[in-house]
Amino acid sequence: MTIVAASPTTTRPRASATQWVLARLGGLVVVLWAAATLTFFALRLIPGDPAEALLGGPGSQASEEALETARREFGLDQPLLVQYIAQLGRYVTLDFGTSYSLKQPVTTVIAEQLGGTLVLAALALALAWVLALGVAVWSAQSGRVAAALGSALEVIAVALPHFWLASSLVLLFSTTLGWLPPLSGRSPAGLILPVVTLAIPLAGFLGQVMRESLLDALSSPFVLSARTRGETSAGVIWRHALRHAALPAIGLSGWAFGNLVSGAVVVETIFARPGLGRTLLSAVQARDVPLVTGIVLVVALAYSVVTTLTDVLDRAADPRLRTVVEA
Amino acid sequence: MRRISVVEAVSGAVLLLLLVAAFAPQILAPQNPLAIDPLASFQPPSWAHPLGTDESGRDLYTRIVHGAAPSLLIGVLATVLGVGLGVILGVAGGLGPRWLDTTSTRLVEVLFAFPGLLLALLFIAIAGPGPVTSTVAVGLATAPGYARLVRSQALSVRRSGYVEAAVVLGRGWWSRLGRHVLPNVGTTLFVLATLGVGQSIVWASSLSYLGLGVSPPAAEWGAMLNSGRTYISSFWWMTFFPGLAIVLSAASTTLLGRSLQSRGRAR
Amino acid sequence: MHLHARHTLALAVLGVSALTLTACAPAETSGGSTSPVSGGTLTYATGDAEPTCLDPHVGGNYPQALVATQYLESLVSLDDTGTAIPWLAESWTESDDGLSWEFTLRDDVEFTDGTPLTSAAIAANVAHVQDPATGSSTGYLALGKVTGVDEVSDSVVRLNLSSPDSALLESLSQPWVAIQSPVALERDQETNCESPVGTGPFVVTAWDRQNSITLDRNENYNSAPADAGEGDGPYLDQIVWRFVPDSATRYAALASGEVDVIDNAQPDTLVAAEKDNALDELDAPRPGASNRIELNSGKAPFDDVRVREAFARSAAVNDGIASLFFGTADRSYSALSSVEALGLSDEDLFTFDADAANDLLDEAGWTERNADGIRTKDGSTLTLTFPVSTNQSIPAEQSLFEQIQATTKEVGFDVVLEPMDLSSWYTALAADDYDLVSAPYTKVGPDVLRILYHSDGITPAPSGYFANHSKVNIPELDDLLTQASQVTDVAERTELYADAQQIILDGYYIVPLFDQQNHYLYRSDVKGLRAIPTVYTPTFAEAWLDR
Repeated sequence: MTIVAASPTTTRPRASATQWVLARLGGLVVVLWAAATLTFFALRLIPGDPAEALLGGPGSQASEEALETARREFGLDQPLLVQYIAQLGRYVTLDFGTSYSLKQPVTTVIAEQLGGTLVLAALALALAWVLALGVAVWSAQSGRVAAALGSALEVIAVALPHFWLASSLVLLFSTTLGWLPPLSGRSPAGLILPVVTLAIPLAGFLGQVMRESLLDALSSPFVLSARTRGETSAGVIWRHALRHAALPAIGLSGWAFGNLVSGAVVVETIFARPGLGRTLLSAVQARDVPLVTGIVLVVALAYSVVTTLTDVLDRAADPRLRTVVEA
Repeated sequence: MRRISVVEAVSGAVLLLLLVAAFAPQILAPQNPLAIDPLASFQPPSWAHPLGTDESGRDLYTRIVHGAAPSLLIGVLATVLGVGLGVILGVAGGLGPRWLDTTSTRLVEVLFAFPGLLLALLFIAIAGPGPVTSTVAVGLATAPGYARLVRSQALSVRRSGYVEAAVVLGRGWWSRLGRHVLPNVGTTLFVLATLGVGQSIVWASSLSYLGLGVSPPAAEWGAMLNSGRTYISSFWWMTFFPGLAIVLSAASTTLLGRSLQSRGRAR
Repeated sequence: MHLHARHTLALAVLGVSALTLTACAPAETSGGSTSPVSGGTLTYATGDAEPTCLDPHVGGNYPQALVATQYLESLVSLDDTGTAIPWLAESWTESDDGLSWEFTLRDDVEFTDGTPLTSAAIAANVAHVQDPATGSSTGYLALGKVTGVDEVSDSVVRLNLSSPDSALLESLSQPWVAIQSPVALERDQETNCESPVGTGPFVVTAWDRQNSITLDRNENYNSAPADAGEGDGPYLDQIVWRFVPDSATRYAALASGEVDVIDNAQPDTLVAAEKDNALDELDAPRPGASNRIELNSGKAPFDDVRVREAFARSAAVNDGIASLFFGTADRSYSALSSVEALGLSDEDLFTFDADAANDLLDEAGWTERNADGIRTKDGSTLTLTFPVSTNQSIPAEQSLFEQIQATTKEVGFDVVLEPMDLSSWYTALAADDYDLVSAPYTKVGPDVLRILYHSDGITPAPSGYFANHSKVNIPELDDLLTQASQVTDVAERTELYADAQQIILDGYYIVPLFDQQNHYLYRSDVKGLRAIPTVYTPTFAEAWLDR
């Protein structure tokens, strides 16, 4: 028997709902704290003077006085631990500081850019699911050749880098066929290519996972009994096997979210879409500590939300997980 | 034992070819992959240059063959690193005492919450670009995924009868690990790892796109894919063939891994 | 040993051909047979980085110059020959001792916030650029000799200098010292960065970060430079300035009609555009230095001129430039851009000659070779570190560097290319962690040679940045450059700069490659587009859409 559960639910008997929620919140705080700490120290490790980043980068030819002033103003001349605690203090009061490179409050920058990435990620995830499910179901129903074909498609999809896929899609659909615009301004048509670019590799991965468990589920005893009861192939798939196929994919959606944010960096740059990914890339390159940390925290928060949602969905989809007792 | 299927034969052959390309490229491509010929640049596939030439007139076929070693090496090493870290974290979480579980789960969640690319970017910003840092960066970025999987597998196995029985029979912790957990975890992990090799190569090529990859003139597939992308509308072969190499490697490792797994299942 | 006659002749030939070239260069679109139509929105997609501040006094880079050209103007402009012509200043005189210049301003110009253009405005602007709190890099250097400003009258302003400055007019023509409303400058920097107020044909009305800047027509525009022609512009209602970093997407957007004008067009898209009847090109090489490789003479192995010459003689670039740029870029043998009238070219110094290179290296003591064919001396290899900024060097350039790496290897050099992002690149330079580097420098006029090759340029600013990457330190050269920056007589200035350039080229401190490429592609129905012959940014003051 292949074990396919992929969600990190606990194995203890589930306590009351409030306790569960509190535990979740506690976990969230820990994750956020750890993320902020990791980012803080990682950014300090990058070679270069952070004061320069404040004044437009190492090429800025800033005067010594300007650098000194900047250091004092931003507390960069304090010992590292003092800076760290001060920073944590600011985060607790929800003060995320001002971006060094964009000269705007970090919260403003994130608020402006968040929507773009969320829309992109959500649509891509939805499309990936539809594609993966579609291919998995179709190939499970249609025999060996279809299965092989579906498998081949998925393997190829997974091996496509985002930047290459983006360029190829633009070449095909914009330049050659002229069906879709390469840049996405405000129009929904401009969303199509970026979303497809993000969705395809993810669909390949999800599809493979779904196919695995779909095939597993189809060869399991309860499906057999359903067939002997006279249910059609389609009916079997839809009613029984699908639930089991979807399980691991739900669990992986948390990971998928992270994958999408990574992909968004490249996709937003290529399609010139405003979004957190693109902002993050330039912030890291500009050594913009407050902005990088702010984005990391937002992503960590979003990720935790997604994980919680997937856990809830997991339990809804799989009764076994609702009350689990030690074997 | 089952007969070897067509799929297995083909993927095995492809892998073999790749291994030969990685270890002894001169057998398959005796020319120098770094030999430039500016006047012969951007040539389409022809008799003299079966896969065409790149922007500096270098033979693409030779570069792809010689590029197998660095490309696969990054892919394999990054996957080994990722899997290794993942196993350590996952086993610690799944099998260890509760406090270890909580700590490692939190750690994994934090790492997970970092988009893989960000981890890679930060690491490279700290340590400077290059093949070693690319490998470590990609390994770090993929480790949390494996860790989660190992942990949930370990938990399931722990819940199952085998381990209980082993405990009752007085078997030690290492024996439990070695006999029960690892083999069960191992098969799924192996399949994912084979997938992961392809993924890691793709990751490394994305790093090249951001200008953080291997140094020129190294014939690495991801770097070739990236530099060919600039000319994608005019000279399709410069991206197509390195891309094909990546897809073939990923596909053959995945398919072989899958068939090994199904053999294991059929046993 | 100078062969004065030969070089003076070469200089004269160059001067004439430069004039003819600039006269023939398509710096202006052909006037359409139909007359300008008012209205419409033009979309411009730039591949340059998004500025962090729209006020070019702050910092001072090319992306800022590009967009500031639309809403800010300078005291003077330049015409095709590089001569200063009136813009916001109608006329000017230099004092006999060269220590002050008086500018008479136009009396009918207002900033878009209603403030009149007076000498008080000029004084406020100079003060703003020179104020450390502003953080100006480029503008600050341009006004380096200005000690004070006198408001002689409402429309006459006097700039006092610490020493004569022959480059003053050229410096003042640049967007980085453009004139903004003094009232606007009094606001805090954050606000002024978002919406600077000037006298230009358009006004900044919105800045959607990471997306676009919106510029609306300035209805009261009346201050075009003297060479702008008799137009009645601006005709466009609005310009949308978009940021599209990826070059393939940028071109695809232009080809599909989603945008009207793009910059930073890559060589292969230039070739594709030639075949497309709906697209035209504007070739506008940036002024200042040519695109060159600088050799760090401050440390081994390049502290030996023989090794430098060996490198220059073994780096085969001509074939590479021809193939990688598809004929859109010509090989340069000068330290200056081809739009600089005073540029000196010396092709003989850079002829490919592997035998000569080998001899020179043997002479310099690099006689042993290791197993890889790299020369060694006293145990160390002839390794050259070459950090490459992927933000600044386009793919074609990076490929060219790879080719140089390959050809110099034949004579035993081991060039190590290190691609990195901009911040890391600056850090590497500041740490003297390079033997070769390619760093563009855009400035109007030959005075750029002083910034790049005077020994003062070796001392870094506190941020670590310095401009003299080749670490050239020759007292004779310093004198020539200092003298040239003070002498206004054209003939004398020409000769001084010629001598200076000959020293730089003879010393093999640089390997010139080509002009700083600056190609704009635009849809053919965009008429009246022009690149201002200062820093060659496009102006839409007289542009209209034939739709």
